[in-house]
Amino acid sequence: MSGGTVVTARVARGLKSPLAGRLTFPLVCLAVWLLTIEVVTAIWPFAVDVLPQPTEVAGFMWDEVTGNTLAPRNMYATFWISLQRLGIGMVIAMLLGTVIGLGMGLSRAVNAFFNDWVVAILAMPNLAWALFCSLAFGFGITGPIVTVVLTGIPYVIINIREGVRNAPSDLYDMARAFGVTRGHTIRHVLIPSLMPFMFAAGRYAFALGWKGLVVAEVFGGQDGAGWTIKFWYDAHRAHGVIGYALLFVIFALVFEKFMFDRLSRYFFKWRPASDVELVEERFDPAGAGAQKVTAGPPPRRDVTTETRRPDDG
Amino acid sequence: MAEITVQNLHKEFGVGADKVVALENVNLEIGGHVFVSIVGASGCGKSTLLNILSGIETPTNGRVSITHDGRPARAGYVFQAARLLPWRTVMDNLLFVQKDRSEATRARCQHYLDMVQLGDKGKKFPGELSGGMQQRVGIARAFSTEPDVLFMDEPFSHLDAITARSLRAELQTMWQETKKTVVFVTHDVGEAVELSERILVFAKGGRLADDLTMSLPFPRDVSDPKVAVAKANVFKTFEQIGALAVT
Repeated sequence: MSGGTVVTARVARGLKSPLAGRLTFPLVCLAVWLLTIEVVTAIWPFAVDVLPQPTEVAGFMWDEVTGNTLAPRNMYATFWISLQRLGIGMVIAMLLGTVIGLGMGLSRAVNAFFNDWVVAILAMPNLAWALFCSLAFGFGITGPIVTVVLTGIPYVIINIREGVRNAPSDLYDMARAFGVTRGHTIRHVLIPSLMPFMFAAGRYAFALGWKGLVVAEVFGGQDGAGWTIKFWYDAHRAHGVIGYALLFVIFALVFEKFMFDRLSRYFFKWRPASDVELVEERFDPAGAGAQKVTAGPPPRRDVTTETRRPDDG
Repeated sequence: MAEITVQNLHKEFGVGADKVVALENVNLEIGGHVFVSIVGASGCGKSTLLNILSGIETPTNGRVSITHDGRPARAGYVFQAARLLPWRTVMDNLLFVQKDRSEATRARCQHYLDMVQLGDKGKKFPGELSGGMQQRVGIARAFSTEPDVLFMDEPFSHLDAITARSLRAELQTMWQETKKTVVFVTHDVGEAVELSERILVFAKGGRLADDLTMSLPFPRDVSDPKVAVAKANVFKTFEQIGALAVT
């Protein structure tokens, strides 16, 4: 194979790799963005005032990152305010959702009582909760926090209920056969078996809670990420709205990557990764490993007539 | 000395038209340091009997008593699948079924892991071990509680023939050393003949059809003509009770 062919093959392989796919997506988005501006401004020239260029947005984002902002608070203080609200809302959603989910998984009556309402809450859009909470609680932190709770709780309930329903009954039988106490069984069997479901619930509550929080802050907040996006909207700064939304997405992605991925690795280290080598059975009777290795296949033997054993010498 | 007494044991599953009789009026006594196998075709109530003996299931009627020198006997269980906690290490799986986590208990667990040749795998998770090794951990777990009676439910049926043979040899050695009372359920007549001093033959419908004594010395070589004759005799028993009839 010639050098040129090898390089071409490597480039082709590289383009097919997952990393190339990840890097290509934002480039495609950028191209679509630029093309859209060109097309729209060609049809409606006045649109140039409301369609920000990528360079404008990037400049805005850089200013925010460096703390050079016209908003009342810098990006870090704003996100910290929103993060605290999200944290409080998530803790409430996880605690309440776990209790209700456990009840629904263990009791048919409790399941019948909550089931339709959980589905109804699940079907309700974030926007509706945000508006409702803003009206109900007015400006302040209560509305956004309640929105996070209402957005996240159905996912927690459903995940925990399914976790209880998928409980490893064979492990409970094992514990009973060995006379293990109830408390010990709950601690070492029930809770660990629910962990993957709780983790999935936490991830959903986080991702959807963020969205609900921002919308709630737009309507009922006096600060926070959602309120700041609205601040830029009120200031007629389209690059500010898009830039702040992008910062928000990046922040959520980084948080997800560094918190949930690390927690997942810690809690589920017992799960065999695909790259972990399985410890294989060593069947090595009578030090067979010490036998000399012979080249080629062994001679064929007829074991139906043979009386001598291979290790007889 | 462990004593197992089963009187008029009856077990049914389902109700009405769906009712299935798993065990019908079973009476038996097992006493002393003996290796007893329960053999029979699938669905003849072998595992149900073991589950009732170990307290996993309750009988519909009848009485079960398992004592050791007059007190309730401690029991260990080896299941068909290893049933290990996947989120706990091998050592923690053994400690899970212990009354305490003292140094002496840890040392005892380590001793039984050594006995099944997994002494260096205490910190591994079950998912990192092969099926045969997981079953060895299950055997070590059962022995580590120092039970008076050991119940084993087809523990080697999921394994390949070579691994199963090596584990049978290990089990035989452990039983000889510890002299527990073992009740071993299997559908493999050869396995029962190789391991047992007594074989209880169950027929369809959960009926105890025959009680056989195996007086051949241990270890038993499967190529020994006496073992082959004993195996043929057990099969003959199945013929007599109609268990080999083509249906």
